[in-house]
Amino acid sequence: MKRRGMLAGIVAVLAAGAVVGAGGAAWKFHLFGRYYPPTPYDDLLKQIADREPAAVFGHAALAAMPGANAASLARALRGRATLSELAPRDPKESRVTEVSGWVVPESVARYAALAAAV
Amino acid sequence: MSSFLDARTLPKDTVLSPDLAIVGGGPAGISLALALADSGLNILLVESGGMTFEEPTQALYRGSESGVPYVALDAGRLRYLGGSTNHWGGWCRPLDEIDFEQRDWVPHSGWPFARKEIEPYFARAQELVEAGPWIYDAADRAASDSGPVITLGEGGVYTSWFQFSKTRNGILPTHFGERYRNELKAAARITPLLNANVTAIRLAHDGGQVDRLEAATLSGNRFTIKPRCVVLAAGAIETARVMLASDDVTSGGVGNGNDLVGRFFADHPIPRNVATLVLFDGRCAPFYANNVTLPNGAILRAVLSPTGAFLKSHGVVGSLTTVENEVKLDSFATAAVETTAEALGVDASQARAFSLGCGMELLPDPERRLTLSGKRDALGMPRLNLNMTIANEDFARFRKTLAELGRQLLAAKSGMLHLTYSTRAEWLKAMDWGNHHLGTTRMHVDPRKGVVDADGKVHGVGNLYVAGSSVFPTYGSSNPTMNLVALTLRLGDHLKKVMA
Repeated sequence: MKRRGMLAGIVAVLAAGAVVGAGGAAWKFHLFGRYYPPTPYDDLLKQIADREPAAVFGHAALAAMPGANAASLARALRGRATLSELAPRDPKESRVTEVSGWVVPESVARYAALAAAV
Repeated sequence: MSSFLDARTLPKDTVLSPDLAIVGGGPAGISLALALADSGLNILLVESGGMTFEEPTQALYRGSESGVPYVALDAGRLRYLGGSTNHWGGWCRPLDEIDFEQRDWVPHSGWPFARKEIEPYFARAQELVEAGPWIYDAADRAASDSGPVITLGEGGVYTSWFQFSKTRNGILPTHFGERYRNELKAAARITPLLNANVTAIRLAHDGGQVDRLEAATLSGNRFTIKPRCVVLAAGAIETARVMLASDDVTSGGVGNGNDLVGRFFADHPIPRNVATLVLFDGRCAPFYANNVTLPNGAILRAVLSPTGAFLKSHGVVGSLTTVENEVKLDSFATAAVETTAEALGVDASQARAFSLGCGMELLPDPERRLTLSGKRDALGMPRLNLNMTIANEDFARFRKTLAELGRQLLAAKSGMLHLTYSTRAEWLKAMDWGNHHLGTTRMHVDPRKGVVDADGKVHGVGNLYVAGSSVFPTYGSSNPTMNLVALTLRLGDHLKKVMA
């Protein structure tokens, strides 16, 4: 009984270690996406590869767009080409803007602002 | 063989009578003397200093400054043989064709001739400054072994190139006095006169000719120079000073009938850390941040420059943007880079960032000017006050060029740009200056708009010329030395004709 208990303990420790290790690896290699609660703008937000830095940058972009909010930004973005289509095209067609000194494609500024606004 | 004369040893009241007196032994004066060495003219090269720096002589430069903070007048130049080449950085680049054009968006612009007028003199000027074979904008290929130029999308900024005056022992570019003293000594008809300060230009009674120059030494000697012809080559500050101070025949000074002498002073602002360049792949060829030496001896450094077409389409003026040091990005900047690179579909995991510096061209401003102050120097000459200006428009125009560079980086998916300054206070706080003195005896065919004509002759005075960057009516963004030497060599050809 005593031996059985000891084995069970070892198995439990190993299992816990495996869970922690797998979790760490998953985190390290981005196997899990970050969780964001659903919004009415997910069709647009899913175009942003990583919403976290986009939101950080987007706060400055949003501040430079007086009166803008998630709804107004979404209205301006929907029905147009996707971010991955617009972003390379914008600078070629002189659609760039400055966000806190950074020269960026207008589409990047708008999508980042949306990420910050939701 | 001639020998150097020391003005302190001249007998009292000596009168020297050369064919040509060149006032100033800097790059213009020395280049002109050497260019005329075989002309048959007897040339007196009048230099205020000796062969080395001496504080009492340097102190003759002292003056005052007002307006925008600027370098002290005795700090940005050197008063001994070789002039300011004794402390120059050796940066050489020809002025661009557009620099010579009359441009609607640049008030007071337009040289009396196109660049092709001085192009024949570039090769010899390049030899004199010892900048190696003429490569410049063909250097993309020449330097390709060192790495690729930064990929930019189509647009108004491109990689342009500086070449450098030969370094000596890895430290110094060509110092004209030290480098050419033997050539000056070997020239039978050139007499370099050291420690000699021209204190006044005395015109004939009708004002139409220089009769004589009055000169003095700090040791108290006074003497006279009576040449057939005079070339002032004392730099944009001292040349203006002696002209303004010589007002016994023409009020306001020699050549100053239209109140232009001393106006339109300019320099190249070089504000620090004007932008941050991010290259997504992290690769920046070494010739952007440092000089590289090619097997043929040419020393190169790449800069980012606006094209002539961009200047025209966007109403900006010249600038040369340099890559300086690698910098670290903060969390906000990292977010900006990640977000933008991901949207562009580019891997930025190896991205590196660099601070950028620049040299800007100023718009001509008649209120940026030298005037005589009430104070006098040790020789009794009036000292100068410089009223320095820089317009918000100067910053705004350069900023447009930076923004275009940012757009082109994005268009090429090669990187992105952060502009550091947006307010005048921020720009001024970062300000430094190139110590390139320009414009105070500007060149124009119309005496109402310029002090000297297209040959460098002072309007209205038959035998008085000016050599050096003081005659530049607009300034370009290139460093002036090689260009002013080329322009001076052109003046040499003119003098050979008119003085034969």
